[in-house]
Amino acid sequence: MSSILQEIETEIAGLKTSVTKSNVGVVREIGDGVAKVEGLSDAMLNEMIEFPGGLFGLALNLEETEVGCVLLGSGENIKAGDEVKTTGRLLSVPVGKGLLGRVVNTLGEPLDGKGPVKADQFYPVEKLAPGIITRKSVSVPVQTGIMSIDAMIPIGRGQRELIIGDRATGKTTIAIDTIISQAKQNKAAEQGKLSGHKPIYCIYVSIGQKQSSVARTIKILEDAGAMEYTVIVNASASDSAVSQYLAPYAGCSIGEWFMDQGQDALIVFDDLSKQAVAYRQVSLVLKRPSGREAYPGDVFYLHSRLLERAARVNENYGGGSMTALPIVETQAGDVSAYIPTNVISITDGQIFLETDLFYQGIRPAISVGLSVSRVGSAAQTKAIKKVSGTTKLDLAQFRELQAFAQFGSDLDAATKQKLDRGARIVELFKQQQYQPKSLPIMVSSLYAMQKGYFDNVPVDRIRECQGKLEEYLTTRKEALMDKLGNEKTLDNVESDLKTALEDFKASWK
Amino acid sequence: MKISKDAVRASRLLLRACFDASGRLHTSRVKRVVKLVGEKKPRNYMAILHSFQRLVRLELEKRTAVIESVTDLSGEMRERLRVDLQKKYGEDLTLNYFINPSLIGGMRVKVGSHVWDGSVQAKLQALGESLA
Ligand SMILES: Nc1ncnc2c1ncn2[C@@H]1O[C@H](COP(=O)(O)OP(=O)(O)OP(=O)(O)O)[C@@H](O)[C@H]1O
Ligand SMILES: [Mg+2]
Repeated sequence: MSSILQEIETEIAGLKTSVTKSNVGVVREIGDGVAKVEGLSDAMLNEMIEFPGGLFGLALNLEETEVGCVLLGSGENIKAGDEVKTTGRLLSVPVGKGLLGRVVNTLGEPLDGKGPVKADQFYPVEKLAPGIITRKSVSVPVQTGIMSIDAMIPIGRGQRELIIGDRATGKTTIAIDTIISQAKQNKAAEQGKLSGHKPIYCIYVSIGQKQSSVARTIKILEDAGAMEYTVIVNASASDSAVSQYLAPYAGCSIGEWFMDQGQDALIVFDDLSKQAVAYRQVSLVLKRPSGREAYPGDVFYLHSRLLERAARVNENYGGGSMTALPIVETQAGDVSAYIPTNVISITDGQIFLETDLFYQGIRPAISVGLSVSRVGSAAQTKAIKKVSGTTKLDLAQFRELQAFAQFGSDLDAATKQKLDRGARIVELFKQQQYQPKSLPIMVSSLYAMQKGYFDNVPVDRIRECQGKLEEYLTTRKEALMDKLGNEKTLDNVESDLKTALEDFKASWK
Repeated sequence: MKISKDAVRASRLLLRACFDASGRLHTSRVKRVVKLVGEKKPRNYMAILHSFQRLVRLELEKRTAVIESVTDLSGEMRERLRVDLQKKYGEDLTLNYFINPSLIGGMRVKVGSHVWDGSVQAKLQALGESLA
């Protein structure tokens, strides 16, 4: 009892002498979510400014006699003449394992009604990207579970791979599938499978989307059991433009915490076109000069400083990584517009989705010719590399020959064989949404294709046959699949796999 | 009133002319500037004057200390404050005293955008926030 009295006493004693020094200003003008504040001579760039009623603003424009603050909430109750003060803090978000499974806004406040967020630490939203000395080249794969991507456009941990395409071409779906695939692998690793697998934690940043779309995404992730490894940062279309502009940085800080702990993280920005639009709005109301397509001059820096934060750091710095999957929406497939070209030039490759393919039923609608991964096969497991080495070339040749074959009927045997193989690969790569495949299943299917096990299956029955094969392998050849998953190379399992495939083929009709 | 960039720039130049070499603002010069602009009527002269007025106000605020307390301060106390503050902000700082009972106790000093708050009200508020 006496200790608490003492504590109060020291508290009171502290209060007696303490004089708080602060820097204040007066709101001169308010509108469009921007307050012009006179005074605030000590304000720093990006500092949080406290408004009456617990509202915060961000000092974005520092001018000679006044400061332009964007409000991080609704400024209905703020009026000219209100006194505001500096806080000495930069905008920061809670980070830590406690965020997994949660849905938060740009400030890290919970949106899911599951009580307060348990944070280990606070990270500033704007952080400097890891430097050259701390980095390491990308060599460990992120298994997306989407066969066409893992076979032809492999993504490595720490890489930045852009997902680009017109509206409703399945961009979000690819990102969601990747997250579900990580959850599946993390779970398998917890059960002692997939030896040596390092878990990947996912952050999904949704920017300017409809609340209903976000709710759907959350539902899908929950149903797939992926939420426990995932953090969702949501700045929906009804949130302020500042929240939408800052959401990716907030998500990035949450991901960086995992990287700093030596763990692996994956972050999805869905999508950066909407973020650029939000930033343009903020810049225009701040009366900053505008350039091409009315975007401000620093819109390139907006994305480059964000994506540079994705990295793989070397062992001396913990060996963590953060992989970024930014999404950009194009108009009528135009990749040469301002924002798409910017982001393409910053990232390490892109997955290009095409409307035509999507409506031909080729889903995921990945355009093989235009999609690349600049890190490439350095980040591919041995097994996949072995069974998919020539797939991309085969498919590219197939598309070329296909155009020819429409005119001529007399084809030589070699061409015909290439066409047959190509048509079957296209079928093999069609994949249902939200059903990412495991590594051994992908390897087996690709192996079967490479060795010609599918050659006598009619093209329109390939998917059926593939489905049956997967079922056969998962239910009847579990040990073989586990072994393949552990070793990640075909060296010791090839003969067993061959027998399994032959057994299956004998029974299939 | 819309004040153009040119007008702001012009008013800033005019303000600069009102300072002497030691950085002191001269009321006589300010008066003369206003009078001259009013007579010569250059382009945008109304905007220039409005902007000039604002700059002068901000400048004066920087050189004025607003001291609030619950009761009237003693002469000795006022003297100590004057010496302290003028040492910090320069000889030309003027001190204005106000009575503000809502402070409950203590004192609040504001010079430009700097505030030193030693009032009971501020302490209670800080305590309330730390408990919330
Ligand atoms: N592999 C697939 N198989 C079947 N349907 C798919 C597949 N991928 C996507 N879809 C369907 O296509 C539609 C659009 O997908 P999605 O929302 O991922 O596209 P998007 O490019 O993110 O769209 P938006 O531009 O609206 O963000 C959805 O209804 C989705 O269910
Ligand atoms: Mg989408």
